[in-house]
Amino acid sequence: MSQPSNFPPHNGSAVGARIPMVDSVDKVTGAGKYADDLTLPGMLVGKILHSPHAHARIRSIDTSAAEQLPGVYAVATGRETPVKYGILPIGHDETIFAVDKVRYIGDNVAGLAADSEAIADEALRLIDVDYEILPGYFDPEKSMEAEQDLIHEDKPRNIEKEYHHHFGDVEAGFAAADYIRHDRFECAEVTHAALEPHSTLARFDSQGTLTVWSSTQVPYYLMKTLAATLQMPESKVRVIKPLVGGGFGGKSEVIPLELAAAVLARKAGHPVKITYSREEVFYAHRGRPRQTVELKTGVTREGKLTAVEARIVQDGGAFCGYGVVTILYSGQLLNAMYDIPNVKFDGYRVLTNKPACGAMRGHGTVNTRFAFEQQLNMIATVLGIDPVEIRRRNLLQAPCITVNGLRVLSYGLPECIDKVAGQSDWNEKYGKQRFGKGIGIAGSHYVSGAANPIIRAQMPHTTVNLSADEKGVVTIFTGASEIGQGSDTMQVQIVAAELGIPVDRVKIVAADTALTPVDLGSYSSRVTFMAGNAALDAARNLRQVIMAAAKKSTNAGNQLTFDDAARLAIGPNETLTAAGTYAPPKDAQGGKFKGAGVGPSPAYSYSAQVAEVTVDTETGEVRVDRITAAHDCGKAINPINVEGQVIGSVWMGLGQAVQEEMVWEGGRLMNPGLLEYRSASTHESPPIDPIIVESNDPEGPFGAKEAGEGSLAATIPAVAHAIYDAVGVWINTLPITPEKVLKALEEKKKTGVRS
Amino acid sequence: MSMPVFDVARPRTLDAAIEALARYGPDVQMVAGGTDLIPSMKQGLFAPSVLLDLKGIRGLDFIRYPAGADLRVGALTRISTLVESPEIARYFPVLHEAAKTIASPLLRNMGTLGGNLCLDTRCLYYNQSQFWRESIGGCIKKDGTICHVAPGGRMCWAVFSGDTAPALLALNASVQLAGPRGQRELPLAGFYVNDGIARIAKANDEIVTGIRVPASSAEWSGTYKKLRLRQSIDYPLAGVAVAMRKDGAGHCLEARIAVNAVNPAPQLVRAAELMQGRRYDAELVEQIAHDAIRTGKPLRTSASTPEYRRQIIRVFVRRALREVWVNGHEGAAVCT
Repeated sequence: MSQPSNFPPHNGSAVGARIPMVDSVDKVTGAGKYADDLTLPGMLVGKILHSPHAHARIRSIDTSAAEQLPGVYAVATGRETPVKYGILPIGHDETIFAVDKVRYIGDNVAGLAADSEAIADEALRLIDVDYEILPGYFDPEKSMEAEQDLIHEDKPRNIEKEYHHHFGDVEAGFAAADYIRHDRFECAEVTHAALEPHSTLARFDSQGTLTVWSSTQVPYYLMKTLAATLQMPESKVRVIKPLVGGGFGGKSEVIPLELAAAVLARKAGHPVKITYSREEVFYAHRGRPRQTVELKTGVTREGKLTAVEARIVQDGGAFCGYGVVTILYSGQLLNAMYDIPNVKFDGYRVLTNKPACGAMRGHGTVNTRFAFEQQLNMIATVLGIDPVEIRRRNLLQAPCITVNGLRVLSYGLPECIDKVAGQSDWNEKYGKQRFGKGIGIAGSHYVSGAANPIIRAQMPHTTVNLSADEKGVVTIFTGASEIGQGSDTMQVQIVAAELGIPVDRVKIVAADTALTPVDLGSYSSRVTFMAGNAALDAARNLRQVIMAAAKKSTNAGNQLTFDDAARLAIGPNETLTAAGTYAPPKDAQGGKFKGAGVGPSPAYSYSAQVAEVTVDTETGEVRVDRITAAHDCGKAINPINVEGQVIGSVWMGLGQAVQEEMVWEGGRLMNPGLLEYRSASTHESPPIDPIIVESNDPEGPFGAKEAGEGSLAATIPAVAHAIYDAVGVWINTLPITPEKVLKALEEKKKTGVRS
Repeated sequence: MSMPVFDVARPRTLDAAIEALARYGPDVQMVAGGTDLIPSMKQGLFAPSVLLDLKGIRGLDFIRYPAGADLRVGALTRISTLVESPEIARYFPVLHEAAKTIASPLLRNMGTLGGNLCLDTRCLYYNQSQFWRESIGGCIKKDGTICHVAPGGRMCWAVFSGDTAPALLALNASVQLAGPRGQRELPLAGFYVNDGIARIAKANDEIVTGIRVPASSAEWSGTYKKLRLRQSIDYPLAGVAVAMRKDGAGHCLEARIAVNAVNPAPQLVRAAELMQGRRYDAELVEQIAHDAIRTGKPLRTSASTPEYRRQIIRVFVRRALREVWVNGHEGAAVCT
């Protein structure tokens, strides 16, 4: 038993402590349970029939043979549950199973529940679907020319959404420029490849209450969507999130199996579990869209940015998903990184007959950031300005409001740049190594939660409840979703720090919509800032109650242990609770123009990275030798965890930089598996040196901001820049495969041009 | 995708295995490490009613290299055992180098030499789930009539992706087979068939029992170059194996080069003969590299383009020959 803490010391020692995550032992011993580990008596296996066609009308579905197969309990099709849903209120375009039409290879046509996987597979083959094939749209530019056979009838030219923003005056900005560059960048589609495939277990009890255990980042939205699509009161739906084996955005909206399992459980009268195969995970997707960026940037002779104009087209897939947010982030977050007085953005989110794209680590910012940082490095090269220096010349003067209304308070970018340049020996290496070895730099940033909620409602974004008992244990009740990123540990540390008690006195109950208050979910890197602030608020409130009770007692307050004080506060009521909330301040919520709601955040994280590479000039192979990554997380609540998140972000960025790509032939995904979709093996995982920068955000809990996403985007342009430094070619298409490098080297040899 | 239902037969002797093969006929499929077959069964590429588990057969897991004699390796020898063998590393370096590159440590612990030699040919349009293949109407190798890689042709271009075969080809090895008609030995070059469906000249009722490398191939310098996008796990996108016997002055006395993962069969490069009696010669190397490219005919069977794979074969031949031919004779290289 740990020593009784003195109360009320308020040293905050649990914040900044390098402690293991509270769920780590269960994870490494296997005691922890993920959704697919769960079983219930009478549980059936659920399976989904997927469309083999990219775009087709469903003339009829005959399920009778499947229904008659012994061992099959329920078969469901789209007409039974036609309620439309989608993660965004303006994007309700999905149904649980396809109604009338399929829109991509892998689309969900029917579901069934059976005694075993083998019976379910056999039954799927017995479902007879009569399709009328329609022309498919696979390229966004071509899709925008469509006049008939639209993917969704209410979306003319297959455009999900387009935005045209203009802040300042780009004409004047370009007129004032001494040098203007126009480049085109293409980024391939990538996916999350979380280790845990999606899995959902659904059960109806005798009271008609639905309980769903699911690998989700958003239990609250899932609860609401289940109620809406199954047409049940929300009071009868409970969502429990077990351990989640990685989300990265792929579980941040409702995924069809989560609803299908519930529909089948209701129809079969048995619990139903569906676990996606890896191939189905690829079709569920919601990853980073293929994106083209046409970028025009003007600078003065000294390298000061005068104007930026971007045309961005995203190949969004067959449904909206988070798409409107993705395209807005890709334009809005051109800002809040550097000081750009004039910005114009034309963004198109286009529907195509492929699985829907969505949120993926660094949501919306990554491909635009690659383009911007790469072009900034090109500009620096042409103007003969050191790439580190050109960034220093374009820093924001925080605190400030950007031209598009983003409020920046804490701004650790300058320190990030200094730290990585220093630690990597930039001055000794840049432009000075032998042919084939190179070093490159880039930066990135990200939101610490969206300042505006997805669901338009006047409520806190997060509420955290605390209870203290006579044993001196404080229990956190939080809706925030631990998905491996450290959500639970972060809240435990904050509460322990505020109350001045050891972390092992703090227990946590999380992400169960029947037991825990509302939290919007683990997306947009909001949890540390928002749930952290709510936990801090709750702990402060609890502390006040205990302090008041202690003051009333005859003993002097500062002589009491926490246990004694808590017992006094608990008193004859035998209960002691407190609640805390968080809602972003009004002045952080952005401007008033169309699309202004996406991009604003109470705080932004910043990152700068230096990549070092060796290029094999005969094969084009790029070996990344080292990445030095500085991340401004405001304050590291748990430095080990921050470092882990930075390393993980860099690693994921490396995958997109040099290896990962969803390969399409028309609407057919050629690599729907982890053998051919190549995430890095240990051999391609270089040493990554994380550097924590603490800018102490004035509104963050203990000064903290996000740490889980912002570092990803800088990796890609830093590697691309290092390749240029090594062999003198700029590769503007991702991923930078050996083949592309070799081709560029041959081009260069032919033309003799250096860029 | 669920595994199809099947029975497992576990013979303890080679004779019992051969007998079982005859008894079950076309419904049986052999399995040892399972690293190739099991994923394919999950994809519905094979649905045997009986799996003949060879792992229990005694006497097929050995590496024998008595001084001055031929090297013999049993078919059930695990790849990791092959990699760890000091004799193979020392006397047959090309085989050691090739075995080292196979898949990943876990898979090398399971996979066997026999399995690696009998690996099914692979193709982007073939190694996919049943759902995926049905959505495209199958292919000439499985459930369809056309080859998506070379439409119009009647040939299957799925590539052979084993890494030990090119090394053993370069060592002039033979493969040993046992069947109801007794035992036989085939030169490895005659074992492989350049057809993605036929693949190997093994009768359905025969079992590969091992390989023999002639004593005359011992102590040849050798290396294996493998193209892959990840330095672990991945199958080769192209491979070049080189083995060479040299004299003290750096003259090539005898040499063989094999290319793999670009054709349905691993193949020897004919121009390798030109090196006989010669010291390292960059011009000659280019000639051989050119012939290697003509030998390898990569098509779009994998994520990497044929153009790139051809280019890499050229680079690999250059590098492998420089490494094998010049090594220890740097002076000679400068002279020529």
